Amino acid sequence: MTGAPPMGTVEQHDLADEIYQLLIAQGTLFALHAPIRQTLTNLTEFLALRHQYDRETLAAGIETALEADPRFTREEVAGEVRFVTSRHGAYMPRQEVDTHSFRQRLHEPEHPLPVDDISVVVSTSRPAITSVEPVYISDYWQVQVGITPVEDGGDEDEAETGQFVAPIHEPVASTEGVKSPVVAFDEVLSPADVVTLAETESAITAQTTGEQEAAESEVLQPDMPQTLVEPVEGETITHAPVAPVAPVTPVPSVQMPPAGRQTVERATIFTLPDGTMIDLRQPSEALLAEHGSALAQLLADKIEQDPLRRIVSFGRYYFPEANVVNLGKNDLRKIREYMLERNEPLLDAELINDVFYHNARQADYEGLRFSINYRLHREKDFEFVGVEGANLWSTRGLPVIGGKRIKAAEMGQITSYLVEGFDDSRDSIDGGTATEVTSVTHQLTFFEWEYGIIPLDAALATLLPGPVLTDQRSAVLRFDSPQRYSQVLVEVRYPTGNRGGWLQGFEEFFHEHLVPSALVTLTRTDEPGIFTLTYEEGNESDERILTFDEKKNKLGFNNVTFYCAIDEDLLPSQSRLGRLNRLKAFPMGERRKAEMILEHVAEVIGEQVGTRAEPQYAITLDDFFVAYNVLRPASKRLLRSLLEHSPGFVADETTPDLFTYVPMTGTDVEANEDEDEEQREPEVSRADVPPTRRRYGGRYDEDDE
Amino acid sequence: MDAKMITFGDTAMEKLLQWLRSVGEPKDIDDLLRQYLEILSSLVMEENE
Repeated sequence: MTGAPPMGTVEQHDLADEIYQLLIAQGTLFALHAPIRQTLTNLTEFLALRHQYDRETLAAGIETALEADPRFTREEVAGEVRFVTSRHGAYMPRQEVDTHSFRQRLHEPEHPLPVDDISVVVSTSRPAITSVEPVYISDYWQVQVGITPVEDGGDEDEAETGQFVAPIHEPVASTEGVKSPVVAFDEVLSPADVVTLAETESAITAQTTGEQEAAESEVLQPDMPQTLVEPVEGETITHAPVAPVAPVTPVPSVQMPPAGRQTVERATIFTLPDGTMIDLRQPSEALLAEHGSALAQLLADKIEQDPLRRIVSFGRYYFPEANVVNLGKNDLRKIREYMLERNEPLLDAELINDVFYHNARQADYEGLRFSINYRLHREKDFEFVGVEGANLWSTRGLPVIGGKRIKAAEMGQITSYLVEGFDDSRDSIDGGTATEVTSVTHQLTFFEWEYGIIPLDAALATLLPGPVLTDQRSAVLRFDSPQRYSQVLVEVRYPTGNRGGWLQGFEEFFHEHLVPSALVTLTRTDEPGIFTLTYEEGNESDERILTFDEKKNKLGFNNVTFYCAIDEDLLPSQSRLGRLNRLKAFPMGERRKAEMILEHVAEVIGEQVGTRAEPQYAITLDDFFVAYNVLRPASKRLLRSLLEHSPGFVADETTPDLFTYVPMTGTDVEANEDEDEEQREPEVSRADVPPTRRRYGGRYDEDDE
Repeated sequence: MDAKMITFGDTAMEKLLQWLRSVGEPKDIDDLLRQYLEILSSLVMEENE
């Protein structure tokens, strides 16, 4: 090691440069203005080794060189000399003083408002709902502090001291041994704690700027409750006291038991618009069991009334409108074309599979299914004909199920007796036991057999599914015949208003396999929308029974061979209804007039018991029932009511269910009938003939052939 | 929340909508009602604690 060369100004400058480069290398990753410190000892040792200089001489040279260089600042900490610099050059300590803070400008504005205008900046109006919210103090601090709980004493304290005291929990017993360094609030509350607003601001400023180190210390401090201050002019405002905390040794971690939460008693009962009280403390299942239907209806109504339509529904199902998949015109066209190609109503699942190529394993399947149903329901070209669990869709252009022999409006009027209180289909069923109906047996009348229509009476209504949608007018069901290995699509027309409902579409099946008075059984299956149609088979029989020639619009009797069991009392055989032979039938539009049909049936079928000048017709209720149901469906209850209330009908006092009909028309009417028959016979089949009583004979006219 | 402030069908409907969106599939009215009652119950009972 050699002695250090004597340093001139140039050498000092070179040495200072070398040291600066060393420190820059040391602080490569430092911020530009961050201090880079190095001790004189380390610098001397490093440079002495590098240049083989004498340490003492070099140390003196370094100190001299760096003190002369403005980029370095000399520090002496605990007797050790250090030099500080930064990548930017001379290290300048950061100035923490903020001379342009929002807080300063807020509290010390350049042009402060006069105190009179304090209302300009502070609203004096109270909020609409004045409620004092408790300040929550964490469980941890409550346990640490061990403060005695204050049970609902906040109001009293507030009244006395003008300050809000947060409700505090009971201390946990197991933590009683923990020494608390905190003094109780009441004890430390002194007049010195009552400060004015200006003093408070300065105190807050001082506390927030200079207490950082204190915050980092391990001294325990409780969370202080926030003070609610209502600035009122000239009034001294009391802040929550800050408890002086004595520095204590750190408390070792204590195993804390779970602290209970403060219970604030609030009402748990709300009232529905109808006055029903709902207690939300009850489990949901109990509430659903007790008020489920009412709540569901109310919720559904509320969702429907939502002007934003955030949740939309289809039947019983609900989905966010934003999640509904939109179907374009092209999609709707494809659906319609596919349905026309299949030539029958289709399930939504078939549409998804065959048109959209989606299968049930895909995550968005149910969403797409709902979307299709929801969108199709809003389109005019599509009609929902499904039932719960089987969303079936029909479209314009598909063949009409059940044909067009009878208009829906006419049939609705004819079956109106079902909704007018004359439905006796459930009279034989005990109301208490008939909760679950799985099959219904029905005896076919001539009208039902001829047109393939069965009135939707109460017994059938309990068997068949009801409408899914409020505006649904019909549903399409499939009836399988296990005896004939065939199936038939049947349309259920639901009752609307004062019009009854019915099932149509059985015509072909009935004509092929059954005769009037046959007993059919309709049975529900596990599949929604699919039923079975069975009948009691019998030996081969040959009867001459009533038939209707549609082309000639005439009734007649033909030999029919059939293989089903029948009810002899209801069979429209020639021996029983022979007088109907070759008579023309009423137009369907006139058959809705129940009383008119009743009188006409009495005249045609009844036994003449009067004189030629004053005819009287006697007929039993059973014969009435069979003959009446040739023209239109009716229940025995309806017939009995008609017979009891129609003028001209008298019940026989000796024979039950025997009635005598005395026509109210006189001889003039009979005389005119012959003329009317000749003049109006060509118009008999027209529906626009006014149905007056004097023309009854014109409807059932004997054939000349 | 105080139960007296509840208007059935209006209060917390956004939470019901949020749940329905999160489920991702249509729900029938019974499920919807059950969930709505749960939401209302939690609103009232949680703030009681």
